[in-house]
Order: sequence, then structure tokens, then C-alpha cells
Amino acid sequence: MANIKSRVRTSTASKVFDVLNVIFMLVFAFVMIYPFWNQLVISFNEGSDTVKGGLSFWPRAFTLDNYTYIFNRSTIGKGAVISILRVVVGTVLTIMFTGLLGYVTTIRHFTGRRFVRLVFVITMYFGGGLIPTYLLYTQIGLTETFTVYWLPQLFSAYYMILISSFIDGLPDSLAESARLDGAGELTIYFRVILPLCKPVIAAIGVMLAVTHWNSWFDVMLYNSSGNWDTLQVYLRKILLESEQASRLLSEQKQYAFMRNLTTSSIRAATTMIVTIPIVCVYPFFQKYFVGGITIGAVKG
Amino acid sequence: MKSKKKSNKINEIIKSFKTQRQMWAICMVALVWVLVFCYVPMLGNIIAFFDYVPGKNLLDCTFIGLKNWIDFFSLPDVWRVFRNTLVISGLSMSIGFVAPIIFALLLNEIHHTLFKKVIQTISYLPYFISWVVVASILLTLLGTEGNINSILIYFGWIEKPISFLNEKSMFWGILTSSNIWKDLGWSAIIYISAIAGVDQELYQAGSVDGLGRFGKVWHITLPGIAPTIILLFIMNIGNILNAGFEQQLLIGTPLTKEVYENIDTYVYRYGVQIGRYSFATAVGLMKSVIGFGLVVIANKISAKVTDMRLF
Repeated sequence: MANIKSRVRTSTASKVFDVLNVIFMLVFAFVMIYPFWNQLVISFNEGSDTVKGGLSFWPRAFTLDNYTYIFNRSTIGKGAVISILRVVVGTVLTIMFTGLLGYVTTIRHFTGRRFVRLVFVITMYFGGGLIPTYLLYTQIGLTETFTVYWLPQLFSAYYMILISSFIDGLPDSLAESARLDGAGELTIYFRVILPLCKPVIAAIGVMLAVTHWNSWFDVMLYNSSGNWDTLQVYLRKILLESEQASRLLSEQKQYAFMRNLTTSSIRAATTMIVTIPIVCVYPFFQKYFVGGITIGAVKG
Repeated sequence: MKSKKKSNKINEIIKSFKTQRQMWAICMVALVWVLVFCYVPMLGNIIAFFDYVPGKNLLDCTFIGLKNWIDFFSLPDVWRVFRNTLVISGLSMSIGFVAPIIFALLLNEIHHTLFKKVIQTISYLPYFISWVVVASILLTLLGTEGNINSILIYFGWIEKPISFLNEKSMFWGILTSSNIWKDLGWSAIIYISAIAGVDQELYQAGSVDGLGRFGKVWHITLPGIAPTIILLFIMNIGNILNAGFEQQLLIGTPLTKEVYENIDTYVYRYGVQIGRYSFATAVGLMKSVIGFGLVVIANKISAKVTDMRLF
């Protein structure tokens, strides 16, 4: 056996393949990372210098002006606060409520269990569609509110299934003995079940948080006045400015001109501000969402 | 006899409202929510059959039957919209489907554990980034002052910078590439865990039978993950009409509208931007009905081929 193994190891084709494979992976990693690196370089480079082109791996004319300009434009701070609030409120509430629903539908002696599950599972296959949803939100006064960021996502059939299947794997006796001690369902959920659900909650929490952080379309659609703009929408607005050949207000333009700024360098800096929190957080949650996607695939 | 059984069941449920008060109370919150946020919009699709005017009671609106669909299919736009939808989703169902499988197989051949881990972590970074950021990156790299143009000019392949994002002929390629760039690592996770699940004894048996390294991939790994591949491919059938939405709105420009507009962006443009609610709802409803039909078909095929059903 060892003989065969060593023969395979030493075969030339195999060696050549190994080398090519490593080279491929390095090129692959470069393709994945470089676009972000490029934005980072531009964000630390003087706008007037970037325009000359040929900027590749390192800033030529280092400056912090792009960032100071953005932070002085006071509204972006507000955008960041709204983004963070949305992530926290949206994620926490959805986990609480969907988790509670997931828990209740695992209680074996609960008569409505199958019915409630069915009502939610149907929503995975039939949706209202963009326009009826839009008209509904307009009619019930969800537009121009912060509520529109969390209320429509309060329950999710898919996450309900993930959580229930996790709770199904826990021993029944835990909830049962608490129930015999006279604990109410809410107490059992918060005191007994929820603390045991950490892995599945971490997986769902990451997905929810990332989705909330990255949303821009619902902001644009439902909060078009700009009072509840999130960071993504700031970036989107700068994108539009670049597309329309830099239609900055004249006052801003003058200021920008004085400081050697261009739309593309400001855009790069904003892109970095939006991206960095995710880049910093996601590697640490890897094992949870990798676990989550595998559960989801098995159940789905 | 039957009705007695039924009334017994009803009695049992009514009794359960009392004995299982807490559970029902929790579920009531959820049921009210699902009614308002999921079922009301589903019923809202009924405006597709009416000449709906916002603020007016539906009963006062004229019933127009299938007129919206007749209008839609008599517009010259329709074939273009369908073509774009099918071409874009076709590209991501073919190239975008095979790429993660190849990546997972190649990554599995890396023996250095740390290197493998780092590459995998890097691979799903773009998945977590919003389309707004991707659009910003594309605008920078593909813009007239961007690095792609610089490289092409440096090597003398082009003389003048190309505004890639405004080129109709390149749009599908750019969109598909960025879809793959964004989702490849994430889609590969499922294959990587499927590969890890292949019975290790098979490889040892393979060695004994004289299978080489590539032979093992072909005769053991691939057949081992084939059920996963087949299941995911079948599930994709239900998504044929989902050709992306955010991407198109962000990367598309007026110059490329002819090649990017798909059913979803069409619904958005006619409904939200132009305000023809009934018409847009009709188009959206048509898409949902076809989409559901495809899911049912996919489920049937899945049950036959793999013994696995989605529902």
C-alpha cells in the first residue's frame, strides 16, 4: 500500500498538477482580493493623482483627505448609526421571534403545530410579488419609517425550519421537566432552549446581520426621502454621481477641487467604510455559517 | 360518522385553545404577522385583473380580465425581456453551476491544510459584500481610468480606453463574471462538505485496484458527490426566471438597457417608476406562476431521479 502511495506521489503528472494547482489557487486568491485592495489604494491616494491612471498596488500620493472629507460631510455618521441600528434591531428581533415560533412548533403535544408550520412553509413557495407588497406597505404607513427595516422580516419560514430542526435534536426532557416545575413557555424558551441553540443562532445571526448591512433596495424603495438612509444608500448615491459624470453640488465641487478630491476617490473611501466591518467580522463566524448552510441543504 | 369525527376534532382544537393557551398566544402573533405580510400581498395580486387606481376601492375599479397580459404580449419589449432573462439565468445555470464544482475538486487536491483553509476563507469573502460595493468596484476597475484599461493600453491591445459598462456586447459577460466572482466560494461550500463525506475506505480500495490520483477523482469523488450535484441542479430549474435584480439596477446603464432588462427589472420599472400598478402586477404574477410550475416540475424530476423531494 505504502508502495502504491509513494508511486502516485512521485509520478510526474501528479507533481506538475500540484504545482499548477497551487499557482491556480494563488491567482484565484488574487482575483478575489485585488478588487478590494485596489479600492483601498485609491481611497488613500490623492484624487487628482488617481485620475492619471496606472495606480496598482500602493498609493502614489498618500493622503487621508478622502476620509476626512467623508467624515466632515456629517450625514455619513448618521448613515452609519442607522445601518448599525438596523443590523442590531433587525437581527435580534428576528432571532427572538422566529426562534420562539420555531420552539413552539417543536412542542409535541401542541395541537396547532402542523397547521402553523404549514401556514409558514407555504410562504416559502408563494410570494406576494414586488408591486402588491409595495402597495401594502404604502397603505399601512410603513414607508418613511425605521419599522420597515425589521417588521417585514420579523418571522422567516426558512429560519423557523432551521431552528426547529435544531431544537428537535435536543432532549425532550429539558423542556418537559421545566414545564412540570410550572414554568411558562416563554420562560422555558428564554431560560432553557435559547441558551442551548447558540450554534444555529450564530449561523442565522450572521446571515441576518449581513443581509441587513447590505440592503439598499428596500431603503431606496420605502424610505426614498432620505431620512433613514443607510451606509449602502450613501454609497449608491455616490455611484450615481459618478455615472452621471460627477454631478456634485457646486459648493461641494469647489471644496472637492481645493482638496484634490474626485468622485472616484471619495467613492473608494466610502466603499472601504462599508466593506471593512464585514471583512473584519466574517472570518470569525465561518464555522457557524458553514455549519448552517450544510443543515440548510440537508433540510431544504 | 364522518361529521361526528370532524366535530370531535373541532372540539379538540377548541379545547386546546384553553389548555395550550400560551402556545396559541405565541402563534397568534406569528399568524397575524404572516397574514398581513405574506398572505395579504398574495391576495393583492388580484389587482392584475382590474384597472386599479391607488386610493380607490377595488370594487369601484373596472374589471379588465386578461387585458394586461394581452397588452404585455403585444408589446415589442416582451421578447427582449424574456431573452435577457433566459440568457442571463442560462449563463449562471451553466458556467456558474460548474465553476464551484471544479473549484471544490481542485481545492480538495491541496494537501497543505492551512493553505487550503486560507484559500477557502478568501473564496467566500465576496459573497458577504453588497452588490452596491461590487458595482463600485466594477466601476473603478472597468472605468475608462481603471486598471483593466491601463493594462490593455500598456500592452497595446487597444488604443483608446473602452467604457466597458456601457458596451452592450460585453454586458452579459461582465454580469455573469461578477455573479460567479461573488457566489463561487459560497456555492462551493456544499460540494466541499459533500467531498469530505465520501467514504475514505473507497479511496484505499481504489489504490489497491491501481487507480491513480486522477482516476480516483473521476471514479470515486465525482460519483460520490453526484447526488448533491444532481439535486442542486434540479433545484436550479425553479430559478430559471430569476435572473438577478440588484445587479442589473446597479451595473446597468441606459446604454445597456436593451440587454439587461429582465422580468424583475421590468416589473420594477413599470410598477414603481411609471406607476402602472395593475400592469406590473400582472407581469409579476405571470412570472410567479411560471416559477411555481417549474418548482413543481423540478420536484417531480427530483423524486424520480434521486428519491429526494423538496416538499
